[in-house]
Parts: sequence; C-alpha cells; structure tokens
Amino acid sequence: MRLNDCDPGFKHEVAAEPGGAGIRACFACAACSARCPVGANRPAYDPRRIIRLTLLGRREEVLASPLIWLCSSCYSCGEVCPQQVRFTEVLTAIKNIAAREGHAPPSAKITAELLAKQGRLLEVTDFENDKRSGLGLPPVQQRPEDFQAILGLKPSEGEAGEEPR
Amino acid sequence: MTNAQLDTPVLILGGGVAGLAAAVDLARRGVAATLIEREPRLGGRASQFCCKATEACARCGACRLGELLAQAAQLPQITIYTAALAVAAQPQNDGWQVDLAPQPGGEIGPGAGRPLRERTTLNTQAVILAVGGGAFNPAGKTRFGHGRVQGVFSALELEAMLSQGALGPDGLAPAKVAFIQCVGSRDASLGRLWCSRVCCGYALRMGRVIRKLLPDSEVTFFHMDVQDYGRAWEDELPLMRHQMRFVRAMPGEVTAGDGGPQVTYALAGEQAQKEGFDLVVLSVGLGPPNGASALGELFGAAKDDDGFLTADGGPAGVFVAGAAAGPRSLNESIVHAGLAASAAAVRVASLTEARHG
Repeated sequence: MRLNDCDPGFKHEVAAEPGGAGIRACFACAACSARCPVGANRPAYDPRRIIRLTLLGRREEVLASPLIWLCSSCYSCGEVCPQQVRFTEVLTAIKNIAAREGHAPPSAKITAELLAKQGRLLEVTDFENDKRSGLGLPPVQQRPEDFQAILGLKPSEGEAGEEPR
Repeated sequence: MTNAQLDTPVLILGGGVAGLAAAVDLARRGVAATLIEREPRLGGRASQFCCKATEACARCGACRLGELLAQAAQLPQITIYTAALAVAAQPQNDGWQVDLAPQPGGEIGPGAGRPLRERTTLNTQAVILAVGGGAFNPAGKTRFGHGRVQGVFSALELEAMLSQGALGPDGLAPAKVAFIQCVGSRDASLGRLWCSRVCCGYALRMGRVIRKLLPDSEVTFFHMDVQDYGRAWEDELPLMRHQMRFVRAMPGEVTAGDGGPQVTYALAGEQAQKEGFDLVVLSVGLGPPNGASALGELFGAAKDDDGFLTADGGPAGVFVAGAAAGPRSLNESIVHAGLAASAAAVRVASLTEARHG
C-alpha cells in the first residue's frame, strides 16, 4: 500500500454524510467484528477492516467493494461499541457515497425500483387487504409518491397506484 | 442529649491509604488530625489487594497499607475513629463543624483506631475528603456474563482469590486465564469516558502472579491498548509479551461453554472466533466514590465532568485526596494525599497565625 494511493479526505467525506460522524470516534477495538453475525458467516466481511480502510483513505477499494452491501442492519455492532461509533449508520453513509458514484449492486437498484413503484418492498394486493378486512383492519394504501420524491423520481401519472388518502 | 465535643485542626474522611497517608504526613509536620472511617475496619480498598511480587517486587503498593497502619498507630498526633460517619457539616468562620454518628459493627481491632461510641460534634479548620473511588460493577456490562456465566470473575474477586491462596497448586488450577480490559472504563455506552489508569497494571501483574503460581497456565490479555502502569514499564512490557498472549481486540461477548466460559473475539483480518477458558477476569475500572453526591452536598465540594470530587472551586478548607479525586493507583494516591495534607497544613498554620498575630 502506498500513501500516495490514499485519499486523506475520504474519512471527512464519510463523516460529513448523515450518520457518518461516528467514524471519528473509533478505537479499532474490534468488538463490532467479534459480534457481527454477517462476519460470522462471511469471513471477508469485517466492520473493523471497513473502518480502517476508510480512515486510511482507501476510497475506491471501499466504495467499489461488494462487501459494504452485506450489512444486515442488525445493530449488534452498535450495541457492543464502547465509543458509540454506530457502525451501521457509518456504513449507510459509505453506501450513500458509493451509490452516488454508481457502485450500488443490482439488488439495491431493484429495491429502489420496487420502492418507487409500490412505496414498499412487498406489493400489497387484494389478498392482504381481504385478510385485513376479515380482521376488522382498514386496507393498506400504497403511497409511492413520497418515495419517488426521496429517490428523485417524479411520480408518473398512470403508475401512482391507488388514490392518495 | 448533647453531643460529645471534639476539636481537631484537620478532619480526614476515609481510612484507606489516602486518608492514612494524609494523617501521617500531617503528623510529621506537627499537625494533629482526626481520621474517621465509616467501616468497622481501616484499610479501604487496599485491604482487598494481594502482593503481586514474582521474582522481585512488582511495586504494586499493596504492602504500603501495612506500613501506613503501623505508622499511624505510633504517631500521637493522630486520632482514629472507625465505624464513624459524617452526617452533617456546617461551615464556620474559620473552618467546619461536623456531626459524626457511630455506625453499627464497630469493633476494636489490633492496631490503630477505635470505634466511635456516641454522636460527636467536631470543630475543625480543614477537611480532607479521602473516601476513595468506586469500583465498577461488572454486572453492568451484561454481555461479559459476570454473575451469569460460571468462571467469570471481576478483578477484585481475583485479588481476593489470590490473597486467600484459592488459586495455585493447592487450590484452583486453571490452565487458561483471560483478562478483559476496560470493563467500565473508556466506554461511552456507559457514560464512563475516562481511563481508570490502574487496570492494565493490576491485570498484567496478576497475570504474572498466575504464571508463577501455575507455570503451565496460559494467560491471555484482551485489550484496546496498553496504558503505562508505572516505573520501568518500557522494560517490563516486552518481557510480559513473552509470558502472556496479548490480543488487541475487545471481545464481543462471554458465553457459557461446555468446559467453561467462552470468549468471542476477532483478530485483525480473521473471522471472529470463540475460545474457551477456565477463568475469565473482567478488569473493572475505577469511578467516582459511592456517595459522592451526598459528600458533595455535605461539604459543598465540587465535582469534575466525570463525577469525581475536586477541591477546585469548592469552599475554603475542603481538600480532596486519592482516588476520590480521580483514578489513581495506591502509590499515586499516597503521593496525592501528601499534597492535600500539605495544603491543609498551610491553611491550619495561617489560621493559627491570624488568631495569635
């Protein structure tokens, strides 16, 4: 590894993202790595390593890595962290930068498309609403417009789903 | 019923090493002092500690309690009451009026001190708060299994086991011992941001004692980083790295396994692993004294950001000595007590001069 290949500004870039500031507090104690259920099944996934690479400024290596998309957002790392780094949120910050630069994996793109179309990942059909009405619950309405706005997509006329409330 | 009356130039609260060292220091300056200890026995936290010498003295300071007790017993300027608690305090023109109440369980033991028998009102020119620090209760760190997983002990419990000879050829013979550092220190999730400064030292010293008692044992030291624990640290540390396994990782959890506690930890570049031990020792840190708030209210003593007592910004004539003012080793507490004694002696001298001059 050559220092010239490292981007010293990367850690500040991550820290400036929402949720990313926790990276400044890391002691590299590896409690997160010890507790991570993803790492227990996929040895290459190591929260401490992702943080160290980020602090070192290995910008492309981190952003292009498929590993950063494996987090299951279980927050076990945050629970054991003595420094309140909130790694789940730090990783979200890293993923947001990666997505902006076109590194999002196909599954993330499909997820975004589903959200844009349905307003949720699970499509609500008559099946669900029939069950709900049997239990005396009001029908669930799909409101994808909010997500389309968040995702920067304009809601198209024909695809907006049911009437908004 | 009126209280018994007592006049003393300096009142010292706490009969641990800091309080005793302050009393001895004052006596050597010719200043009389009254020391009160709320427990039936003197000694404080230090009385739980074992000698950690191996081939040579490890300078842990545990033996200095005995020296201080012997010195305090021989100096006529020192009056000691055990089982005595300060229950009220009033600032006066040139000092404090303090009400002392006897506590149950006071018995006359060998050496210095006798139990307080009746409620006493004491007039003093200076007060030294030497009430010691509080030890972290490891049950507050549930994932390390203290009180839940067999074979997990706090370092204070290991101290007791070592001083009672419970560990060794004639007692328990653990083959694998793990120390987990920073339990209750440097932990934002607990709101305890400070380094306790003594745990690396006591854990490494106890690790050496275990290796000497049981030469076939293996000692593993889980840490974030090793803090300086005193003189000759730079020379000792490389030797210790040969005697013990240093693992730079905080374990994720300690769980019950088949043969004993299991520690989950991740080495750099490796998958997290579970390793079984016979004994897991949690190196608990120091915190503000129990009852710091009550004492603070009684004497108006200020507290620092972490909750330790401080003489800075507090009322005149109140001084703080030892671990009550921040994490300190035994040796450091004794030195710190000398500073408090010196400040108290200066105050007593200037008040006496003003009265007679």
